Amino acid sequence: MTEHSLWRFSRALHRAINDRHFRDIEALIDEDVEWALYGPIDMFPFLGARQGKDAVLEVIRQLADNFRVRRFDRESIMLGVDSAASMVRYSLTALDSNKPISLRVAQFAQFRAGKLVSMRVLIDTFDLVEQALGRAIHLPKMTSVG
Amino acid sequence: MTVESLNKQRVLHLLDAFAGGDVEAALACCTEDVDFLTHAPIDVLPHMVPRHGKAELREFWQTLWSRYSQVRYKAPRIVAEGEEVATYMHTYFRKRSNDRIVQFDMAVFYTFRGGLVAEIREIIDSYDLVQQVLEREIGPSIIGVRVD
Repeated sequence: MTEHSLWRFSRALHRAINDRHFRDIEALIDEDVEWALYGPIDMFPFLGARQGKDAVLEVIRQLADNFRVRRFDRESIMLGVDSAASMVRYSLTALDSNKPISLRVAQFAQFRAGKLVSMRVLIDTFDLVEQALGRAIHLPKMTSVG
Repeated sequence: MTVESLNKQRVLHLLDAFAGGDVEAALACCTEDVDFLTHAPIDVLPHMVPRHGKAELREFWQTLWSRYSQVRYKAPRIVAEGEEVATYMHTYFRKRSNDRIVQFDMAVFYTFRGGLVAEIREIIDSYDLVQQVLEREIGPSIIGVRVD
């Protein structure tokens, strides 16, 4: 049985982020890949939408510049023929402050001929911002709208 | 039909029922002890607390419909395996108060038991959601200006 493309991609991504070894991940990304990791791009420039392999590799390099993956736990995972969806709990270290950051991330990946052609990632970004700041954001409680 | 195809159809049926305003039809897709969890700032959005059981989920969905007059969704990605289905959705909620649209993407993970949804887990770009609900940038709060 052939290994699903997600597993190869996941190993290569973590190796790129933690060891700055980018050769494996380069080989697993399609030239025309679509990538979206939504969130406040003014605070985190590596968030946002990207098109093409070079742009995505630059995002991965920025992630490697900013974070180290200490641990990850897959809470849910679904594998289709050329697709995968997962909910993963990441424990990261922010390299500039050495602060721990804990994130729950939803990932939707599509592959073609073993290469990533689409990645959509969603994060609880309000929580991410509060953890990066190291304090709560004070806002009014929305009890009648929202 | 595979269990995956069937469960995808069940999820789309639930979503269509909810988007059509038929909360009871959407609840009929769920187990009595359905467990719902969305990852969102409950200090700001207190109705988005975890919900356990149909009665609590009904209250949450009715709260949403009391605040929004129209709900639409597109689900460009649906992945299923066994008793689990994951959807990546573009969602649109029209506010009753001023007709403005709150538009955000969400990931929803469903777990089935006996053909019914037993667990719902959501992840939302919550920073953007809060800004749209408040109808203001929350950057000033980050630099220490309290927003009231």
